[in-house]
Amino acid sequence: MTQDDGDSEDGELPFPVIPVDPGTCVLPNAALCTFTVLDGVLVTLVEGPAQWKMQLFERPCPGQDPWLGGQIGEVELSTYTPPAGVPGKPAAPHFLPVLCCVSPPCSRVPHGHLWGSGSFTLEETLFGLLFGADATLLESPVILCGLPDGQLCCVILKALVTSRLSPGDPKAFVKILHHLEEPVIFIGALRTDLRAEEAAEETLSGEDVRSDCLVALGHHGRTLAIKASWDQSGKLVPELREYCLPGPVLCAACGGGGRIYHSTPSDLCVVDLARGGAPLDAEQPNGGPGGLPPLLCPANLNICSVLTLSVLSRAPEGGTELLALSTKGRLMTCSLHPHTEMSSPAQMTMANAGEKIKELLSGIGNISERVSFLKKAVDQRNKALTSLNEAMNVSCALLSSREGPRPISCTITTAWSHLQMQDVLTATCLLENSSDFSLDQGWTLCIQVFSSSSALDLDSACSAITYTIPVDRLSPGARREVTLPLGPGENGMLDLPVTVSCMLFYSLREVVGGALAPSDSLEDPFLDEFSPDVLPEQEGVCLPLSKHTVDMLQCLRFPGLAPPHMQAPSPLGPTSDPVDTFLETCREPGSQPVGPASLRAEYLPPSVASIKVSAELLRATLEDGHLGTSLCCATLQWLLAENAAVDVVRAQALSSIQGVAPDGADIRLIIREVAMTDLCPAGPIQTVEIQVESSSLADMCRAHHAIIRRMQTMVTEQAAQGSSPPDLRVQYLRQIHANHETLLREVQTLRDRLCTEDEASSCATAQRLLQVYKQLRNPSLVLL
Amino acid sequence: MHGPLSDSVGASAAPLPPSEDPCRCPGPASATMSRQTLPDSGCLDLWREQNDRFVRQAKMAQDSGLSLRRQQLAQDALEGLKGLICTLQGIPAAVPVLSLELTVICNFIILKASLAQGFTEDQAQDIQRGLERVLETQEQLGPTLQWGLRELWDSVLRASSCLPELLPAVHHLASLQAALWLSTDHLGDLALLLQALNGSQTGASEDLLLLLKTWNPPSEELDAPLILQDARGLKDVLVTAFAYRQGLQELITGNLPKALRSLHEATSTLCPRSVLVQVYTALGTCLRKMGNPQRALLYLLAALKVGSACGPPLLEASRLYQQLGDTAAELESLELLVEALGVPLNSKAPQLLIEVELLLPPPDPDSPLHCGTQGQAKHLLASRCLQTGRAEDAAEHYLDLLALLLDDSEPRFSPPPCPPGPCMPELFLEAAAALIQAGRAQDALTICEELLGRTSSLLPKMSQLWEDARKGTKELPQCPLWVSATHLLQGQAWVQLRAQKEAVSEFSRCLELLFRVTLEDKEQGASSSCEHGCKSDVVRQQLRSAALISRGLEWVASGQDTKALQDFLLSVQVCPGNQDASFHLLQTLRRLDRKDEATALWWKMEAQTKLPQEAATWSLPLYLETYLNWIHPSERETLLEEFQTSLLEPCDL
Repeated sequence: MTQDDGDSEDGELPFPVIPVDPGTCVLPNAALCTFTVLDGVLVTLVEGPAQWKMQLFERPCPGQDPWLGGQIGEVELSTYTPPAGVPGKPAAPHFLPVLCCVSPPCSRVPHGHLWGSGSFTLEETLFGLLFGADATLLESPVILCGLPDGQLCCVILKALVTSRLSPGDPKAFVKILHHLEEPVIFIGALRTDLRAEEAAEETLSGEDVRSDCLVALGHHGRTLAIKASWDQSGKLVPELREYCLPGPVLCAACGGGGRIYHSTPSDLCVVDLARGGAPLDAEQPNGGPGGLPPLLCPANLNICSVLTLSVLSRAPEGGTELLALSTKGRLMTCSLHPHTEMSSPAQMTMANAGEKIKELLSGIGNISERVSFLKKAVDQRNKALTSLNEAMNVSCALLSSREGPRPISCTITTAWSHLQMQDVLTATCLLENSSDFSLDQGWTLCIQVFSSSSALDLDSACSAITYTIPVDRLSPGARREVTLPLGPGENGMLDLPVTVSCMLFYSLREVVGGALAPSDSLEDPFLDEFSPDVLPEQEGVCLPLSKHTVDMLQCLRFPGLAPPHMQAPSPLGPTSDPVDTFLETCREPGSQPVGPASLRAEYLPPSVASIKVSAELLRATLEDGHLGTSLCCATLQWLLAENAAVDVVRAQALSSIQGVAPDGADIRLIIREVAMTDLCPAGPIQTVEIQVESSSLADMCRAHHAIIRRMQTMVTEQAAQGSSPPDLRVQYLRQIHANHETLLREVQTLRDRLCTEDEASSCATAQRLLQVYKQLRNPSLVLL
Repeated sequence: MHGPLSDSVGASAAPLPPSEDPCRCPGPASATMSRQTLPDSGCLDLWREQNDRFVRQAKMAQDSGLSLRRQQLAQDALEGLKGLICTLQGIPAAVPVLSLELTVICNFIILKASLAQGFTEDQAQDIQRGLERVLETQEQLGPTLQWGLRELWDSVLRASSCLPELLPAVHHLASLQAALWLSTDHLGDLALLLQALNGSQTGASEDLLLLLKTWNPPSEELDAPLILQDARGLKDVLVTAFAYRQGLQELITGNLPKALRSLHEATSTLCPRSVLVQVYTALGTCLRKMGNPQRALLYLLAALKVGSACGPPLLEASRLYQQLGDTAAELESLELLVEALGVPLNSKAPQLLIEVELLLPPPDPDSPLHCGTQGQAKHLLASRCLQTGRAEDAAEHYLDLLALLLDDSEPRFSPPPCPPGPCMPELFLEAAAALIQAGRAQDALTICEELLGRTSSLLPKMSQLWEDARKGTKELPQCPLWVSATHLLQGQAWVQLRAQKEAVSEFSRCLELLFRVTLEDKEQGASSSCEHGCKSDVVRQQLRSAALISRGLEWVASGQDTKALQDFLLSVQVCPGNQDASFHLLQTLRRLDRKDEATALWWKMEAQTKLPQEAATWSLPLYLETYLNWIHPSERETLLEEFQTSLLEPCDL
């Protein structure tokens, strides 16, 4: 016997992947257990609430509704008791029924050849004996069905045509052949009359062998064999024998020469139903040409835990080739030479002693394979435990250090870069591990990017993009950098502000899932299917690291500033076309710029907004940042602190600056000191006014929003330090406040009107609304 | 909205419900609230929102054209509802949440039953759990564990009279309980439940239909959580289903006036088209049996006009015409039936609701509304043609039938199933008999040869054993009756072809098979004492007598009267009551001029005719009946009278 593992053929052609989409679904049914196809008729077995139901469908097409006349027959097979879930005991392993198709021997139309052991042809006498005169007369294929409760029943396919209104009467359609009293694992057929087989092989092409013996194997090894024979008076009677083979049976296959191969977790055995027949029992009076042997002696082939088995062909020298798939996923071809097959355990001679030793060695090989398998499982569990421990440490370290620098941090910075003919704003996340533990397999860095529409409402994750980056191994002190594009997207728009939040995710499934799979699957591989349910999908630990908001001030670019090489190469904005650039350079100097932007610049006054902050408050915030420069310059630097241009601003000591928004619109920031006289009775208050100007209203709003955001942070920080505002003239404040109240009320009414009005008048309302907003953006209030 | 929850806090601060296992409930995050406090209205709104979402999803699944998507949507909604039930039952029972909980249970049961197309034990348990939850609020938990559904309903209905806000949900659940009990035929329980729901005393009214009709489930509040099918809709379905069920049952048991009343009730309800066809057909059957063929015909026409499934009314029409003796119309309706059954039924996917069909008894082949398959209808048509003497048509129909059955490319065509109709060999024999009757002996021979050829492998090894049997060394094995019958028909075909030698040899072979079998049978006679064995004994007896008579007639035709006499004598012995055999014997005796024996036989025959004929409880196979007609002497009565005068005159003189 030789074994040949499939490993050596790894390098050969990679099979094409065929995608299967839901549109190809033929029969949506959650209760479907097994099926077989014959001549365009689909036979299915469905598990009903109290019985098995066999259904016939004619030429089902994908996407077609099976209710639309596709079903041609239906019959209920038998009552069955669902596997009772006794609370103390684990649920019984779930067995599936077995379906196979028996073709009539004399069919003039060749039936479509089927996959594997799904179908076979029986000899006329056995066919007629088992299925009756009707099946023989109709020359109808018969569906044999082995149920998990041990019933072996048959349904004549041609007879099973019923109307939808009346499913078939089980008594009329279903014939119970036998009861095996244990789950049926395999139904097959073979030829035990070897002389006839040799004769048949000469005449027939070999594939159309008519079997003369039907076999069925149960899970615990009970085996049924049925043959047709004649009794003393010449009457046709079934010869029925039950054998007990070693179980539990995982799978089985019928080979040539009357042999059944069946696999148990510990071995692959072969029994010979043909032997002990005619030649030995010739003196038996009425045994007929091929009686069944009274006893079966399984011969071991020393291959353990084969899950699926297929008999390939008969080799030219008389041996057999088997294709087997083991529980470990090994695909083997086994060539059985005739003399090993014939070896009988009872007769041990010098001649086959060597062969026996070889077999024993092969058995040792199999045992050692099992040992290595178990060892691997233990290793896997240990590794999972270590990983879990590490993950625990990391989580504790992160969660306990609420104050101060975190042991694992993620800093996010933004920058413009030029990618694929386009300027892209990128965010760089720097994951730094300054803890004592390393981040190992199982950890992933998740970065979520919320664009402005959803930034205010973090619950709606629908418009957020999540990037998942596996952290392969990050040892203490190591850092990893991840750069991702923020925009602008396909439409050239960048919805500011954008919120980027980073978190670490530890997947329990990835680390523990493998180790929880039962290593003792060799004992009962039917328990395998329960293991994935131990862990629910997406179970893990999530640790938030940091959150960063990217706003307009960080995205501004300043093409007018030197040094030019630091700036983005295209002054016209990120979406400029090379053709436009070309035309731009070709234009005569001094001529009027064309295009909507320049027109707007000419005819539309820029939108303006301003904010006033008391100089004292700013000084307190900037602390020593403004030493050496004027307060205005320091404020501008503070505002652009996260912008790449801050160094140039600092170097040139600018107090106003003109920049370009991501969509190309101009934005001007002007900062000047203003004294507010009538606010405080003690005298004028020194304030700093920050003014934003832009030709694009939207960009101006974004920039305004960004400045306000900074101010909010600043004010809350200062309030926490308990700085006291100067004495104020309350009357004046009230006045301003009242003005604003009226404006806000007007906004409300205008917006209400906008909803109800028709197009013409709504245009005027919108105009007015814009004006009010404009007034609101330039308050006379000051932040103190 | 629901009122404040403060009044029920006291009751629900009790420990966990005893049978609840919190680990088993995979509820959403909202279920992780403290168990000692009641959910605030936020949770209640959330769950309600979930229920509404699942109901909308189920309705969307209903409208979805793609079956896969439909299945997935419905299955998802079902799972969602199940999870929601687990969540709701994880907290202590309290009245404001309970109304929602019962509604969710109802939605779950409706969806589950309509997806599975039937009720199972699980649904009864779901209902029971809901009832127990209602009782938990009443602190009546103790003894309920052993209670059946009936006791639970009693106490729940008593308790819910003081909980008016629960009433709509309880009635909704009750309508599902009624549907379940109706579909499982627990009519006694159903009657008690309806009496309790109607608030009437026990024994006030036994008429279930009246009880159902008087039941008035309270209407749901406008802001109640969404439901798949409300209690009123369910009540309408129940009324229709019950009226039809009752009518059908009375029809089968033969209580025709009651059946008629119930069926009329069914027609007056909101009846779906497919059920309406059945109700009209049942009315037709009922009226036909009551002797009102014209009114029956009107209902059958109405059923055909509804037009969703024409099978049952057409079959019923053929029965009606047969009763009226209008053979042409009968055969025409059968032909239409064959055509109608050949059209594949384009049924819609069932609604995701409890429908009338769901509550009807499972289709029964013995029901008067069962119309069978196309194959059965075709066979019925062919056999009726043969019985009514239209041999040509019968032969054509039989040939059609066999061709369709043996054609591999017709998977839609199936033979008539075995126990009610004939088995396949008998079908072949009937076809052969029809062909002989139509004068196509050669075709009949082909059919017989085909039959024997196809089943040759099943037959005992004749060729080997035949010789042994001839030599007397071995008994011939038992052989199915239809093999002998085939030889008999073959003989008759040869007779028609005037091939006397072949005919006689076929008859002899038939007799040989028939007589050898007896010895076998005698040994195992005790075992086959069942009705079937008894019937096959009679058939065998008739076959023997027929074969003997046929062979005798052949001898007569060839002028070998002594041989004929022997056969006729044997046939009289085999089948003493057979008047035909006796008549042929009489004729032969007369021809041989054996007057004394003839006179004795005649007296015997006279005595036999005066004896009361034992009524045959069974009918012979159609082929055999047809055969017996062939050997029935055509002018028996006139010849007998003639014989009487010729025989008795000398005596009188």
